Amino acid sequence: MEEKIKHFSQLFRELEAEIGTQDLADLLLQALVVSIKAFKADDKSSFCDQFNDLVKIISNTEPRFGILIYCFFKLRKEFQNGYFQKLPEKKWKRVILKRVKEILKEFRQEIKKLVENSDEIDVDGKTILIHDNSRTVRNVLAHYKKMGKKFKVVIAEQDYDKTHNNIERMHKLGVPFQVIPSYMLSHIHDNIDMVFFGGLTLKDTMNFVMNPGTHGIISEFLVEGTPVYMFINTTKFSLWKARKKVDVFMHKHKRAHHTKEIQYERVKYSHDRVPHTMFEKIITNRGVFTPDELKKFFDKMMKKYSYDEVKEG
Amino acid sequence: MEIYLALGIFAVAFALIAFEVFDKSLIALFGALLMVILGVLSPEEAIAAIEFETILLLLGMMILVNIASKSGIFEWLNVKIAAFTKGNPLFIFLFFSILTAILSAFLDNVTTVILIVPLTIQLVRGMGKDPKPYIMAEIFFSNIGGALTLIGDPPNIIIGGATGFSFLDFIINLWIPILAVAIFTMLVFVILYWKHIKPISDDLIELFTANIVIKKIKHEFVKKTIHRDFVIKVIAVLALTIIGFLVQHQLGLPNYVIAFTAAIVLALMTAKRHNIHESFSSVEWTTLFFFAGLFIMVAGVETTGILESLSEYVAHSTTDIFFMALIVLWVSGLVSMILDNIPFVTVMIPVIMGIQAELGGSDVTILWWALSLGACLGGNGTIVGASANVISVDIAKKKGVNITFIEYMKFSLPITLGIFVICSVYLFIKIN
Repeated sequence: MEEKIKHFSQLFRELEAEIGTQDLADLLLQALVVSIKAFKADDKSSFCDQFNDLVKIISNTEPRFGILIYCFFKLRKEFQNGYFQKLPEKKWKRVILKRVKEILKEFRQEIKKLVENSDEIDVDGKTILIHDNSRTVRNVLAHYKKMGKKFKVVIAEQDYDKTHNNIERMHKLGVPFQVIPSYMLSHIHDNIDMVFFGGLTLKDTMNFVMNPGTHGIISEFLVEGTPVYMFINTTKFSLWKARKKVDVFMHKHKRAHHTKEIQYERVKYSHDRVPHTMFEKIITNRGVFTPDELKKFFDKMMKKYSYDEVKEG
Repeated sequence: MEIYLALGIFAVAFALIAFEVFDKSLIALFGALLMVILGVLSPEEAIAAIEFETILLLLGMMILVNIASKSGIFEWLNVKIAAFTKGNPLFIFLFFSILTAILSAFLDNVTTVILIVPLTIQLVRGMGKDPKPYIMAEIFFSNIGGALTLIGDPPNIIIGGATGFSFLDFIINLWIPILAVAIFTMLVFVILYWKHIKPISDDLIELFTANIVIKKIKHEFVKKTIHRDFVIKVIAVLALTIIGFLVQHQLGLPNYVIAFTAAIVLALMTAKRHNIHESFSSVEWTTLFFFAGLFIMVAGVETTGILESLSEYVAHSTTDIFFMALIVLWVSGLVSMILDNIPFVTVMIPVIMGIQAELGGSDVTILWWALSLGACLGGNGTIVGASANVISVDIAKKKGVNITFIEYMKFSLPITLGIFVICSVYLFIKIN
């Protein structure tokens, strides 16, 4: 089991860095559909046992992905209920597949709701700063464009691939945009009307786990009094007690000076943690919240959902 | 004196090539130059010794394959097959091995493994499995597939250039042993590595892992820009090229004209999508120069009469063609396990020509097929037996999968000897 958890952790981290958490969950649910179709075990109890093991693995990866835990716990709960247990042997697979597909649909529907809730922010004639590799933020901007809103985007430059994802999408949308290195933003403070961010998760410490570099930018604009908005699906919330162990990974590697024979250690961090109070508003699929409202909402969700496997720590 | 010079130059060059002291093209070219400078051959004889048909066929195919690969069609094929397997290790093993064999029959083996091995490693390692058996199978199948056609492997190109055998001649005469060898190799791999490749359809977690990796690969591929028109043109031209090779006699055109026409027509058709400078600079000029140098050196050795004597010796030592074919098969096979098969085949061409001349009316075409099978399939014997082996192992090493010489040979040697036995049986049946 330990080996599998390690393997899944690495796989999820790679995917999350590449496509973001939302698409990771979507991709995993799609993979689950194909896997169930190909699964040829004799009976449903064998499936349920193995699905339980899968849920255990998913709830113990490093880091834990709230959105995955949400989807897989939801499915497990259904497979454990009386109705499913009473299903005849010939039918169970079809029912499971149907349910996974429904959850995938519901999941996509939640994303749509979040985008619709973003209407509350008036972006007409405004200049918006974006930075992270957030599919949610890009979808929100696409929605505004579709609604005929006129706005400009400034992309704060960071990792090559992440910046290029933003550039490609803005270009495709036909949104006027500029790119500026993240460390030069102080020169354009006055030009920016609002800042948009997406997040990986919200911990019970009320810290958002976000792309590296975001904490600095948010602090910078907070000082300037520019509103910073967070766009996040509530299914991404980490509804369990945070472990003492850090959720931020540090990568050390050796580098060489490009002209001189100097070797040095370069350190990179996987994520930033940003307190929820640093945001003006948090736009979710379940509504738009102020930081205080979000805290109350989060606590309510914590009580409602019980993720046994991820409680300890 | 010239005899000793020619033999000396060739022997030293052969040793330097075998031990990879310098780049083999430099050694071959320097050897060729020495043959001319020291008077073994006149400059005119040296130029005449170069088989431009062979070099042009290689050149045409290199340009054609380079343009075709830029279209993304081969990656597309890889991704489709990965998706089709639905994460079943046995299917991944079978389909990728078969794909390697098919592609190797029409592309050069090195291009094939460069396209397939990295994806296999990503897929199999992503599933948490050991990619070694898969890579070793792909090495084997690149050499097996390459042996099937005139353009599949350099020894066949040289044999085709020397004998005038058509594309179809190769397929007609070699498909049976190649199929038998492929089935044998596949069975041995499946039996030996069953633990690694057995189906996982009753293991939900393994299935799930595999399908995540496949989705990831698909996602990465979708991000790449593929131009439909480019792909369609490539498919059309590749299909026409293969048809052209198949009906070569009816067309009355040599192979190299067909390959070159296809390359240039495709370059013209895709000029907007692809820069021809890139294709020309990607041509493996070192390989072409190596061939040119080698042809000249062998011509130098021919002037000594030693190859003629060797042919006479073989022709007079036995009248049994099957026995001769066996010698050609096993010697070329064993030599190709360790040494570069191209110089060996180049030397063997005049020897077999000589035997043909010595035996007059007897049909010795079987000797060519024995040479082709031995030289192409012998490459499987060791890690250094063929360029595709070396490249595959290098790619694997860069990705953290280390296949050692002994580790490979422990497995490859018995299978390769088994392959020779199958080929021997085929030669026996064909003669009788």
